[in-house]
Amino acid sequence: MDNSIVISTPPHVKSKRTTKNIMIDVLIALLPAAVMGIVYFRLNAFVIELTAVLAAVATEFVYFFIKNKGFSKQAGEVCKKWWKQFDYTSAVTGLILALILPSTVKWYEVLIGAIFSIALVKMVFGGTGKNLVNPAATGRIFMFLSFSLTAFTACAIKPISADSQLFTGATHLSGWLLETENPAGQMSWLDLFLGTGVAGSIGETCKAALLLGYIYLVVRKVIKWWQPLLFIVVACFLSVCFAAMGSKTFDIKLFLDYMLSGGLLFAAIFMATDYVTSPKGVYGQIVYYVALGVLTALLRYLTKIEVVSFVIMIMNLLVPLIDTYIVRKPFGYKKVKKQKEGK
Amino acid sequence: MKAIKGKPFFAGIHVHDKKSLACRQKTEIMPSPEYVYISLSQSLGKPAVCIVEKGQKVKEGEMIAKADGAISSNVFASLSGVVIDVKQMVGANGNTETYIVIEGDGTEEKSYLPRLKDPSAEEIKDRIRDCGIVGLGGAGFPAAVKVAPRTPVDTLVLNGAECEPYLTCDHRLMLERDEEIARGARYIAKALGVEKIIIGIEANKPDCIARFEKYDDIQPVILKKQYPMGSEKHLIYVTTGRKVGIGKLPADSGVVVQNVATAFAVCEAVELGKPLYDRVLTVSGEGITHPKNLWVRVGTCVKDIVAYCGGEKLQPKKVIQGGPMTGLALSTYEVYTHKTTSGVLLLSEKEAAAEEPTPCLNCGMCADVCPMHLMPMQTAFYSAAGDFDTAAKLGNTLACIECGACEYTCPAKRPLIQAIRKTKSYMHKKVVRVSSPKPVDQKGRSAPTVPLTEDGKIAVKPVEEKLDESVKKSENELENTAVKEKTEAVKEEAKKEEK
Repeated sequence: MDNSIVISTPPHVKSKRTTKNIMIDVLIALLPAAVMGIVYFRLNAFVIELTAVLAAVATEFVYFFIKNKGFSKQAGEVCKKWWKQFDYTSAVTGLILALILPSTVKWYEVLIGAIFSIALVKMVFGGTGKNLVNPAATGRIFMFLSFSLTAFTACAIKPISADSQLFTGATHLSGWLLETENPAGQMSWLDLFLGTGVAGSIGETCKAALLLGYIYLVVRKVIKWWQPLLFIVVACFLSVCFAAMGSKTFDIKLFLDYMLSGGLLFAAIFMATDYVTSPKGVYGQIVYYVALGVLTALLRYLTKIEVVSFVIMIMNLLVPLIDTYIVRKPFGYKKVKKQKEGK
Repeated sequence: MKAIKGKPFFAGIHVHDKKSLACRQKTEIMPSPEYVYISLSQSLGKPAVCIVEKGQKVKEGEMIAKADGAISSNVFASLSGVVIDVKQMVGANGNTETYIVIEGDGTEEKSYLPRLKDPSAEEIKDRIRDCGIVGLGGAGFPAAVKVAPRTPVDTLVLNGAECEPYLTCDHRLMLERDEEIARGARYIAKALGVEKIIIGIEANKPDCIARFEKYDDIQPVILKKQYPMGSEKHLIYVTTGRKVGIGKLPADSGVVVQNVATAFAVCEAVELGKPLYDRVLTVSGEGITHPKNLWVRVGTCVKDIVAYCGGEKLQPKKVIQGGPMTGLALSTYEVYTHKTTSGVLLLSEKEAAAEEPTPCLNCGMCADVCPMHLMPMQTAFYSAAGDFDTAAKLGNTLACIECGACEYTCPAKRPLIQAIRKTKSYMHKKVVRVSSPKPVDQKGRSAPTVPLTEDGKIAVKPVEEKLDESVKKSENELENTAVKEKTEAVKEEAKKEEK
């Protein structure tokens, strides 16, 4: 027995799953949506995706490099160290950010957004696992507020007048929320499902691709099957109820319309389920996803714009509170009954 | 009785069990070693008190150390020969233990207790105590305490789950000695005065389940193949549907759990009068040449066991005493088996997890698999910051059974069990500090509190330090006064000269 032996506390065997391969799984699950985005929005989408991913990874690298004093020490060692701890989380953030942007965004806007997401939302809080809010959602909000006049009209309020013929109309959801058009008449469910002829964000249009990603994540046990479903069902059902309040007719068919339009599916599958910013316990998770659904339906009804990223950010901020107060009781726990005083 | 399925329980992990390495190896009796080093700390509680002297001749099965108090167990010579030394050594767990060293003389003279025929409940209880039987599942709780519960019990559950990966010693024992186990279980049931005997066996051992279906008075229950099904609380829940409260004993729920190996030892103690000085243990792992299930005497050196199994096949990354989920990692082969040692595993680099931890992702997988429904990540987070009170409160750490499921499943490879143990030890110390009565002096006034050690004894070191400090202080004062006197004297002289 020589010095190569390792001594540690039990357990001495561990599962093969690591942070790295979870993140690779998420990237694989995002792949269909990314590819379909390129198919529908051509070069624009490709440029945005590439810029976002590269900018995100590069930002993380630069932050790490400066923090570990890469300029004073040997730079090669710091680079090696970075590669050793690189877990693809920044790549995932970059890709998600790209997929929730409209294809009309300029590449330099994406660059700024990606740098903001990684540097200011994630790295300054301590890097992987320490960020308070979802970096991609926050990055999108940042871009929405900063560049809204130029680009975000597409997925926000006004119909865009882009040069491509593909999206000459309003995004389905925004037009519909403003009641300028009758959704059922304009788009068939199949169109919405496949994303053909639908205006919207790069990764959010093709729901079939998202469904593939969802199935992959569930099979690989990265997410629990009920988590996105809970969010979607609550949000859509409440939206139907709100619609019924306005028109006085309860139309359950609208359920599918709500589900298949906007960024709800994408956000529910890939953004709300982000490990870092969602609750840890089972009961906390149920509360979180139901609250997400309720808030989405409510804010969509009240503000008439696509609000999912805002909702996710708001709920992210409540997660520490949920984790502290909504905790499962230990196995075998018995409630201590207060003894009633006999009269 | 026909086997039934246990109650479903949704938590825990599915480990690749690697039992196929050793489960077909029939048990072998390992030849007597030249020396045995028998520790006096063979069970939970106080170590036994040595009753032999250096140079004394002992026979196999002779008592060499007597139990000290209720929670303690007798220790027996596992080899006939001469006691050549009684010395203090550091054991595998890092504690200093007293060892009795016996050199074998080649004869196999035995000294057993008389056999019992149709024993009464009291006789069985006495025999279990006299033979130094402890729980052989791993914790090593003295069996004599378990068979004399304070609250009425109605069920005996035999633990044949063996949910730890790699270990196959209970599996082989159930296959080869099922009749003895059944008889031993009946003796324990008689001592307890219960009728109902249940044996819980994991579904990956269908041969054992079939073996126990032939007894009319024993109910086999099939457990899901899931770690940790052999944990006492979960075994009770799955087999009987009762929940054991936190900080409560199984007997409070009317159940007593014994390992199958313990039942076998009870049978031998009653029928042959043989004290507990040997047991079956599994030698396994990719690193060993011939995985085996061996009858090994208590106090055998791990080095001898490894050598008997053909030595190392490849350089092991980790050597473990016990199971891979809860066992001890060894730094040297120069350690000696105890009554509770259930295995010696040589894990190759591929099997052993020795990866560097990465930042916690807050994924909550540890909470999902925790069989006690705790929040291990909270404990790890707050204990890392030194805030053990919050760690224990949010993570419910004191209810933890340290099964290791959380750390097994953690994708960031965080050292969760280490954090939990740290928090637990802090909280236990705190309990000692709070609960110990304030010292009172002769007149009834409360004396100044003295810092206590873990055992509740008065800490010696701080007092010495205090003494040192006071001595130094007084020395300083003396010096100061001396200097002052000198200066004053000088001044006075100067005054005189002026005059």
